Amino acid sequence: MSKRFLTLISVVLIFTMIVTACSNGTGAPEEETIKIGWIGSLTGDQAVWGTCESNTVKMLIEEVNASGGILGKKVEGIYYDTKGDAAEAVNATKRLASQDKVVAIIGPNASGQAIAISSVLEEYKVPDISTVGTNPKVTVNDDGSVKEFNFRVCFIDPYQGAVAAGYAYDRLGLRNAAVLYDVASDYSQGFTEFFEKTFIEKGGKIVAKEGFKEGDVEFKPQLSKIKDANPDMILMPYYYKEVALSANQARELGIDAVLIGGDGWPSEQLMTMAADAIEGSYIVNHLDFNDPEVKPLQDKYNAKYNLPMELNGYMAHDAFLLLKAAIEDAGVADPVKIAESLTKVTVQGVTGTIKLSPEDHNPIGKEAAIVRVESADYIFQEKYGLQ
Amino acid sequence: MSYFLQQLINGLSLGSVYALMSVGYSLVYSIMNFSNFAHGGVIMIGAYIGYFCLTLLGVPFFTAFILSGIGSGILAVSMERIVYRPLRKRNAPFLYFIISAMGASIFLENIVIASPIGPTFRSYPAVFSTSPIMIGGIALGRIDLLMFIISTLSLIGLMYIIEKTKIGLSIRATSYSIKASTLMGVNVDKVIFIIFLLGGLLAGLAGMLFGMKYIVYPQIGNITTKSFIAAVFGGLGSLPGAIIGSILLGLIETMTSGYLSSEYRDLIAFVLLIGVLIFKPTGLMGKTTEDKA
Repeated sequence: MSKRFLTLISVVLIFTMIVTACSNGTGAPEEETIKIGWIGSLTGDQAVWGTCESNTVKMLIEEVNASGGILGKKVEGIYYDTKGDAAEAVNATKRLASQDKVVAIIGPNASGQAIAISSVLEEYKVPDISTVGTNPKVTVNDDGSVKEFNFRVCFIDPYQGAVAAGYAYDRLGLRNAAVLYDVASDYSQGFTEFFEKTFIEKGGKIVAKEGFKEGDVEFKPQLSKIKDANPDMILMPYYYKEVALSANQARELGIDAVLIGGDGWPSEQLMTMAADAIEGSYIVNHLDFNDPEVKPLQDKYNAKYNLPMELNGYMAHDAFLLLKAAIEDAGVADPVKIAESLTKVTVQGVTGTIKLSPEDHNPIGKEAAIVRVESADYIFQEKYGLQ
Repeated sequence: MSYFLQQLINGLSLGSVYALMSVGYSLVYSIMNFSNFAHGGVIMIGAYIGYFCLTLLGVPFFTAFILSGIGSGILAVSMERIVYRPLRKRNAPFLYFIISAMGASIFLENIVIASPIGPTFRSYPAVFSTSPIMIGGIALGRIDLLMFIISTLSLIGLMYIIEKTKIGLSIRATSYSIKASTLMGVNVDKVIFIIFLLGGLLAGLAGMLFGMKYIVYPQIGNITTKSFIAAVFGGLGSLPGAIIGSILLGLIETMTSGYLSSEYRDLIAFVLLIGVLIFKPTGLMGKTTEDKA
């Protein structure tokens, strides 16, 4: 038995060696193309967004190649599924950097994964542009120093949380806020922390703060507690699946407070799942879906994939534009040079003008779009920023 | 007081979801002594069958309910045929069963993701109004109520089959000893067929109820981790144990987040469960007979 087992193991090992040797061999005639990696969720809770991101990047790469490529070279995209898992994201990044030898990576959309891959990026010196990783720690270390190879095209949670608090207090006149948040998510925690800070500074009160864990489907115990505290608004800083469930359950319990959320909300699916429950809610978002400037991209995407364009597609679009500009600015497809150029270039993306700050690798001065849900549609209210 | 009653209702409603799912684990465990982790996958398929019956076929609600139960029952039985029976015929160690079960569960999840159904979330068409029945400030969800009634009825039906019918007798006999009951002329293959059929039926009902109450997506199976824990807590292999364990877990979770802390709900709830298992390792109502190796 054990002998047979050993034989089996050795056969497997030999086979692996042959396969890896071969792939190294064929990969050798190099630098014919510029390889760009993408990572994100193609399966799991956030698959809708990941699929939209990778589709957008694929579409853009096809376009760029049709018009001559970047620096006269064809661009090749390599896409890996992180399954929404930080450990998978680390594996995918390692594979992209060490085996596929990409010059840069776009994604992942979630902060938790974007933070997890930092050390790999540093080890292999490959830049990464996160699409919607809004946690501050995606681009800066705990001590405040910038992470050399982490970049992003979106604004950050403190900003999103602060904007939500400012808008709720100043524009909507809400004073008593309850918070329901995902204790297992960096995104949700960061958002909550800065919402609370700004809201209390302005003079508002946090009357209840309840947690849950990603994957939960039952929110009534927490919501019953929130109902007892009688808030004017409930902050729901998490993703649309939980938003749909918790919003529906809040209404089932007879809670009629205004719901306010962030960029985790906007999704075509949210409407099919909870249109009635979120009627009249406010969303702090990166852009407005009905903005004429984003229409051409929307239409192009719809025509090609016959799928609705999600927020992530726009962000992936801008990340790709920025990367393309940086590669052209660097003049050579070298990861380290590209990383340097990423903070030098300015591009006009669909989510606004993007110029990354060299100090923290965040875009400078992006305003948030405040959107209200009315009759199952996202109605743009105003561009709102906080200084 | 009304706050407590509200949380009690929340807890019972959550507990009844766990109960419908956990009996499937206990049924299989009582006969075959392994945890059928593929049960979550069957529940998920049940939820999808119900969903497509309502949306694509447009059949009435109760027909969809029955179809979903039958479909899941067939799936559970065929999984037993394809995955477990070959192992059983070779007297494979129980570890192999567990690993095959996990494999089957991953297979089911991914076949849905890879199929045209895809990984997206789907929500059931509104069969019932989502506005609650208000009784003196306490909100009672219509779906919760329906769920509680259907869970109770189907669990009573199941208990009746196990306790009062001839096939129930052979199931109980087999759960004590496969060898002895074979010698007594019990057709073990048939017994196993029946328990997978029953487990599958309940999984279908559970899946559809779950989908109506929440949403449908390929990872629904993960929620069954908690109902599995509830089954262990109540005593794996014991049906009343699984039900009581599930209701208790639902109540403990709800009361913990209602009165202590929702942030530490799972931590506190599961420390309590582990505490119980330390003093009563076989669970609340588990069999204390040991394996005679």
